Amino acid sequence: MTLEEILAVRPSPGRPRRYTFPEFDRTVLPSGMQLLTVHIPGRPLVSANLIVRRGAGDEPADLAGATILAARAMTEGTEHYPGVALTEAAERLGATLNVDASWDAVVASVEVAAPRLGAALALLGELVERPTFPEADVARLREERLNDLLQVMADSRRRVDRAFTATLYAPESPYSRPAAGDEASVPRLGVEALRGVHRTLLDPRRTAIIVGGDVTTAQVLGALGSPLAHLGSSSRATAAPTSVAADVPSAASAVDHPIVRLYHRPGSVQTELRIGHVGLARRGPDFHAVQVMAAILGGLFNSRLQMNLREEKGYTYGIGAGFDMRRGAGPFSVRTAVQTAATVPSITECLSELRRIRETKVTETELAAARDYLVGVFPLRFETPGAVVAALDGLFIHELPDDELARYRPAVEAVTIDAVQQAAQDHIHPDRLAIVAVGDADVVAAELESAGFGELEVVTDEVPVESGEGEEAAD
Amino acid sequence: MSAPSVRFTDERLANGLRLIVSEDHLAPVAAVNIWYNVGSKHEVPGKTGFAHLFEHVMFQGSGHVAKAEHMALIQGAGGTMNGTTWLDRTNYFETVPSHQLELAIWLEADRMATLLDALNQENLDNQRDVVKNEKRSSYDNRPYGDWFHKLQEHLFPPEHPYHHPTIGSMDDLDAASLEDVATFFRTYYAPNNAVLSIVGDVDPAAARAWAERYFGVIPANPAIPPLGDMSLPPILGSESREVVQDRVPLVRHFFGFRAPAMGDPRLDALEVAAQILAGGKGSRLYRRLVRDEEIAQDVSFFALGLIGGASLAAGQATVRPGVDPDVVERAFEEELELLGREPVTDDELARARALIETFELEALQRVDERADRLSMYATLLDDPEMINRQLGRYLAVEAADIQAAAAELLRPDNRVVLTYVPGGEAAATTNDAETAA
Repeated sequence: MTLEEILAVRPSPGRPRRYTFPEFDRTVLPSGMQLLTVHIPGRPLVSANLIVRRGAGDEPADLAGATILAARAMTEGTEHYPGVALTEAAERLGATLNVDASWDAVVASVEVAAPRLGAALALLGELVERPTFPEADVARLREERLNDLLQVMADSRRRVDRAFTATLYAPESPYSRPAAGDEASVPRLGVEALRGVHRTLLDPRRTAIIVGGDVTTAQVLGALGSPLAHLGSSSRATAAPTSVAADVPSAASAVDHPIVRLYHRPGSVQTELRIGHVGLARRGPDFHAVQVMAAILGGLFNSRLQMNLREEKGYTYGIGAGFDMRRGAGPFSVRTAVQTAATVPSITECLSELRRIRETKVTETELAAARDYLVGVFPLRFETPGAVVAALDGLFIHELPDDELARYRPAVEAVTIDAVQQAAQDHIHPDRLAIVAVGDADVVAAELESAGFGELEVVTDEVPVESGEGEEAAD
Repeated sequence: MSAPSVRFTDERLANGLRLIVSEDHLAPVAAVNIWYNVGSKHEVPGKTGFAHLFEHVMFQGSGHVAKAEHMALIQGAGGTMNGTTWLDRTNYFETVPSHQLELAIWLEADRMATLLDALNQENLDNQRDVVKNEKRSSYDNRPYGDWFHKLQEHLFPPEHPYHHPTIGSMDDLDAASLEDVATFFRTYYAPNNAVLSIVGDVDPAAARAWAERYFGVIPANPAIPPLGDMSLPPILGSESREVVQDRVPLVRHFFGFRAPAMGDPRLDALEVAAQILAGGKGSRLYRRLVRDEEIAQDVSFFALGLIGGASLAAGQATVRPGVDPDVVERAFEEELELLGREPVTDDELARARALIETFELEALQRVDERADRLSMYATLLDDPEMINRQLGRYLAVEAADIQAAAAELLRPDNRVVLTYVPGGEAAATTNDAETAA
């Protein structure tokens, strides 16, 4: 056969290998804490997370950033391992101890070769139970965060993200603030504030240990040892409410009609754009339809936004849209950076796509593209123990049913064209979009004004930094 | 802990395509990865950025695939894909559910065989705009954005192919023509200039049959022009410094050093040294500059392997507000000098080795990473078995090797120091100088 004859015939797929999300065991430890274990044969490394359902979304405004700062400070030393001794002890096991805090949770994690799991878990327990929060280290981490806020002002992408959520959410919502705190709150975060955060982390009813790898539940129970199994037993925080329903942070919107806010950055060769509104919490009844809708709009490589603004117009290197689903309603956003001259035409196209996904039904081809991608790529997402454990983190954070991951693929397959349109009409709101941009106002402000996308505010008085000598980054 | 043992077959089709197949049925996933032995080092003055622009064109359709259809078919199959261009290579890769493997092989073959059937001015112009926006987004509009490009300028002389950035210049991108695309394709996109790796839940016989069926009919190019001599003196010979005015809030020093090419054990020693210097909170630079003296906001140090005459090692330190930048520079340089003067401690070396072992095992868990490394080692070192030997090479590095490499290479007369200071009007980038589609 000739090259032409051979290549003209498209291959058809073979028979799919059966796949189900790995089954996991749920055990209740003596303290009341949950242990989730998942056996993943053949992998040399084990991934272990200790997760507490308490995050930056649960902070009062005056302590904004305390959870993330506490998480960073926890690896600065413990009673038995002062200073870097903790890090060094972990490194001798070939392990890195991490503590990460998000809006929803604090996760202390370690990945280690299976034979060293017990030793690594002992360090993880020490880290969670007995951090010392040394005054000098906390002060240093505070300074680092304040310096980082200066860097935010200089980087258009980080600056627009900050401005976008500050625009979207009302002040009473924690989501209006940077999760790691701002110029006003961070200086207030002393050792006592961090100890306060830490005390709330020892509530067994909000905490789970999740372990995945080539280990059995019995082996994990053996490796846990007594300290972790009893972690938090003496905590006084157990009276606190523990259900997700009682833990939903406020997501009050500050926007009730279309507005445009442009932050002036002279000489910018691109405009960073965020367009959106308050979106959805994770525990919604139509989660899977929303996922399919968002994939068609701005999730797939060939999404509507990407085909329009990148592959047809060439305005941008890339554009995406989606919902950041938290315990409370995180933002829905369209995210892109476009060449300065294309700022207004790009916004026009985005708004047009946001209306179109509501007003006209997606095609069968579009539905199939999104559905087949989400269903097909599901096993690829869980190749490693770390990825499986992270998925179980989500299950615990949102108190989802144990079969949530196993039923993901049939649920996505069941999404219809009508369900996609319903999801768009229910959750995309062109009548209250915030359009937030960081770019060169001298070039784009006039055109933005006359475009009439919404009430325009041009912010020119933010002073991004000259010498870095402790200047205030006004907001 | 178990050493990596990636078993694979390594053969050449009659037309010169190197085919590597590695079977692993743990997950129902297969990776296809093709490296073309062409990168920005093959570009000539006036045509910089071309290898990368070309990579974008490779997603614009081919004889039997429409514009954007490559992505549609792979995503519709439940797969992921991308391509990247770098100094030494251009690679394309798909990860798919294993029953879709044949599709990925066919797609790669179709564009290697018939790309020019679909090439047109409209698609080229469109991707030129996309790439120019990539340049703006990844480099020009970012604080500190051009640091790696400046390091290239200082570390490699103007006539050397590593001197210019992979993303190219706006002028050169504007000048790229359809004829340039066609010539580049005919020259470099030939089976005898490529390595195809297939890894994962595959039947090796079937994978080999598909590769033979779809690629076997593509003619070789017997006249791929060889690269010129890229050899360089082992060190710069004198320090090179530049102060860059940029719109940045904090002063940041970037340090660069010329280093031995990939495959040289001194580069392994530098990689272990990088772990000891700046790998996390237990490292020397972090401990001294960030934690103890509180003069830096952050630090980093890494070695970046290249094949063309030299590699590079680089680091950075962001100066805390109110701190004299010279103090930070001196502290950073003192730590590098100390590494050349005294051996690292047994404990430092043991910790670095243990961490590197975990990082390697972590990376090799995924079929896409295994496929990429097999293609890389075959393309650059003609030695895919290196995938199983590299960890052993790191673990064999002794304190004396680190001391010797540091003394020989991390020295003032082999050093570039770029200092970004607040005050610039124009633009600048990222720590990731690689360029993905």
